[in-house]
Amino acid sequence: MKIGNVEVKISVISIGVFVIFTIFLILASLNSPDVRSNLIWLIPVLFMLLVIPVALNYMSRSQYAELEPEYERQAKTVRVKLINENMIGKIVRIDGVVERVHFQFLNRPQYSVADRSGAISVKMFTSPDEEIKVNDLVVVLGQVIRRYIVTGEPVVNCVSIRKKRDTDDA
Amino acid sequence: MSSSTVSATPGMNNQQYLELAIPLFSFGATFAGVILWSRGIEINFQFFALGCVIGSCLLAYLAWCRPKKDIVALSTPIYAFIFFVVPTDYMSGIVLQMLYAASLTLLLVRLKYRFGEAHTAVSAGKELASPLRDYVDLTRDAVSGLSPETAHQAAVVISQFSTGEYARAAGTLGGSSGSLPAILSRAAGIANEHALLLEGSAPRPANYKTFLPEDEALLAKPLPPSEDEERHFDAQLDNALLVIFSAAWIGAETDRPHLLGCQAFLLKLFQ
Repeated sequence: MKIGNVEVKISVISIGVFVIFTIFLILASLNSPDVRSNLIWLIPVLFMLLVIPVALNYMSRSQYAELEPEYERQAKTVRVKLINENMIGKIVRIDGVVERVHFQFLNRPQYSVADRSGAISVKMFTSPDEEIKVNDLVVVLGQVIRRYIVTGEPVVNCVSIRKKRDTDDA
Repeated sequence: MSSSTVSATPGMNNQQYLELAIPLFSFGATFAGVILWSRGIEINFQFFALGCVIGSCLLAYLAWCRPKKDIVALSTPIYAFIFFVVPTDYMSGIVLQMLYAASLTLLLVRLKYRFGEAHTAVSAGKELASPLRDYVDLTRDAVSGLSPETAHQAAVVISQFSTGEYARAAGTLGGSSGSLPAILSRAAGIANEHALLLEGSAPRPANYKTFLPEDEALLAKPLPPSEDEERHFDAQLDNALLVIFSAAWIGAETDRPHLLGCQAFLLKLFQ
């Protein structure tokens, strides 16, 4: 679904929650006249279960889209090996291959991206522009953070991850 | 004159005692409760969950002490509170506490095998790790005799590379390269070239600075075959930074705390 220039994605969890509560509402309204009399506000509330995740996704993705040019300007292309805890807060670009993908279904994907020097965890707090799969060659833009904000090893808080194009090497 | 020594790590013994204490407290308190009840002393069985709560706190502490954190072990005190805040009767209390104690023991095993050892003097930044110590000893004769100012500049280069301040690193050690030992001069040239390329996010150039074949005995990493151009190029920087580190460690004793702070970065260069 596209709102303005932003491609909005809704997670399967949100759809699942909506479907379950829809079934509950249908069953309840079939069995209870009290529920039927309140459908005028129950149905809009039910749709809020879809609208709220869509709105949140739209807001996060539009914010990430605004940040991307600034990150593109500031980022330095580094090998994974050079990323260390002294670089917390630095904006980096990594060229690598995706080794693992987790939590894509939650719209909070985590990737393990490797280059010839090592691998690093790349966390994203919204859905990426394009679907990224294992073995894709990607360009990652993001900020070095600690895994658990105040502690843990350095990971990349990703603002943009996209498949590598031929023009990236130019 | 390496200041670092392989010290005994008394913390390790404490860690082992704590590891032992986790199943001891969590199972022991429940067993104590069972024994007391069997002798007719029927104290509220919820109180014997205190062993599990203490075990959870110890497990969380052990997880906190490790460089690699285990979020599951860290959050066990919260679960202990949730599980044991509600009063339970005798039989369900035993079952809950035994299952919880068994879970803590499994989490302890998982912590030990999947999340490495606790912080050591090396990981805490108090002591130089052995690969770096050995490398400093190997290169001592080749890079010693620097002026304190030059050695400080070498330390600054290491610090700037570790923090990703490549623009500032470029040229920091290049100015007086005529007075540098030969291998350090080449290392400074390589580091400067890479710093400029990293700052501009530029790709590997066709021609780039390298160490000479006569330097190979003093390099930390063997250079990959030149056919593997990318790795060959990367290894030049890794070796250059380690040569510069060695010079800084030997010549700038006052900068050693800063260099220890860059240790995790430097150790990765050996890989």
